[in-house]
Amino acid sequence: MPGGVIIGQYYPARSFVHSMDPRAKILISIMFMIILFSGNNFYAFLVVGIYAAASIILSKVPWTVVLRGLRPIAFIMLFTLVLHLFLTPGPVLFQLGPLKATWSGLVQGVFIGVRLIILILFTSLLTLTTSPIELTDGLEDILKPFSRLGVPAHEIAMMMTIALRFIPTLLEEAERIMKAQMARGADFESGNMIQRARGLVPLLVPLFVSAFRRADDLAMAMEARCYRGGEGRTRMRQLRFGAKDFLAFAVTLVMLVLVIYTRVRFGPVISPGTF
Amino acid sequence: MPIEVRNLTHVYMRGTPSEVTALSDISFRIEDGEFVGLIGATGSGKSTLIQHLNGLLKPTSGTVLVDDMDIWAKGSSLKEVRRKVGLVFQFPEQQVFEETVFDDIAFGPENLGLSEDEVKRRVERARQMVGLSEEIMSRSPFELSGGQLRRVAIAGIVAMEPKVLILDEPAAGLDPRGRNEILGNVKRLHESGLTVILVSHNMEDVARLCQRILVLDKGRLVADGSPREVFTRGDLLRSVGLRPPDVVSLMERLRQKGWKVRTDVLTVEEAYEEIVRELNGKG
Repeated sequence: MPGGVIIGQYYPARSFVHSMDPRAKILISIMFMIILFSGNNFYAFLVVGIYAAASIILSKVPWTVVLRGLRPIAFIMLFTLVLHLFLTPGPVLFQLGPLKATWSGLVQGVFIGVRLIILILFTSLLTLTTSPIELTDGLEDILKPFSRLGVPAHEIAMMMTIALRFIPTLLEEAERIMKAQMARGADFESGNMIQRARGLVPLLVPLFVSAFRRADDLAMAMEARCYRGGEGRTRMRQLRFGAKDFLAFAVTLVMLVLVIYTRVRFGPVISPGTF
Repeated sequence: MPIEVRNLTHVYMRGTPSEVTALSDISFRIEDGEFVGLIGATGSGKSTLIQHLNGLLKPTSGTVLVDDMDIWAKGSSLKEVRRKVGLVFQFPEQQVFEETVFDDIAFGPENLGLSEDEVKRRVERARQMVGLSEEIMSRSPFELSGGQLRRVAIAGIVAMEPKVLILDEPAAGLDPRGRNEILGNVKRLHESGLTVILVSHNMEDVARLCQRILVLDKGRLVADGSPREVFTRGDLLRSVGLRPPDVVSLMERLRQKGWKVRTDVLTVEEAYEEIVRELNGKG
């Protein structure tokens, strides 16, 4: 089948964020999460929100694409909002049967919701602006110091690379086997849950058989090219920190300082005695 | 049961930047009991075309008629179409999944909702048609050799007792013996009354077996005729990335050297007779 499948959600473009070192992007994403969760008031969110919005604008990824990342968590957000609204003690806002909605619940729910939105918007930027290959390269480099502790950094990265490489291949294969079984009268669409699950056997068995055979062939082909794990292996794409990356780290540190300032200056959004 | 294709066009990934026209404006009609060869270079649309004949792909435009009924018309059952038109994919051994050879061949007939006795009868008949020994029926298909496994897979389609059998490169990747066995099976199936459509890259096989040949090039039907008509057009075949059978090339070269031989020969035996005739005439 021509065309092919788009893996992950990488959005190709030329931008400040795209050209950053993947390691910098991964580390900044982790720092961002820590800073976001240490913010305990809406002023902190203002700081973090501006930072996230600026990053998204710099990445040249259209807002519609970034906002799409919120769709899967919309339900969870609504759910936490409702839970907080009714389960937080405090002055009553309105009453629904035995359930009491409170002011503090509303504030708490909105607070958690905003935090989640900022979190998803910013972290989705990592996979939107970094190709899967860059991502695994970066991850391998970051994990390397831990290899002394027994973390198989190179192996993890290689596994991820291979897995990503074979997603489209396996999808194509699944489609082919499905058609072959449909030609034998197999039915993948109708019936109840149990019948449908049973109907998958003619698809899954051949798919697994061929995946194992492929894995065998690939291992052989890699060994034939002298692959012996990561030891002493050089890289074609060398990762290098540049001025952009240091600038990004610096701005992130400024944000950290600002968020700490809001903690000291304004305190938590809900504290005993707010209402 | 005739199969007819009218102005069939198929476009993959329509409306996206990677849009590809795989078939354009193809028309032909295949009558009962024909043995048709479908040839064309890689990417010429052969696989796409055959998947239309049993309703696995839906035409972008045009119609496919099986038994003079439009298979995509309302009230037409695709399951019924797939029962009548059996399609053996390339490397069909990759679709085998049951624990025993018997169960795997029975998968198709069972999906047709037949009685246990009828399923047994059909599996037995299919087993004989493809020449598998009785003792392997209770073995696991994963213990068999490539050629045997391929015959199991073909038997799986034959057991559904289709009227038309389409095979996509049934002999690909087999050794010469396996090749001959499979093609012998196909010939026998045709003689038993099936309409057969054979997709192949091997011109010798097609020349030897088929009564009619369709040639595809970049999604277009560029020739449709008897093997003699098609294979004597060496230039056309070469221009679409194929080549005529070796004996035809030999005769063409002899003619260039001034021999007065016919070039519309299809087998080594015919070529032999023709050369002997020419030599005797000279002598």
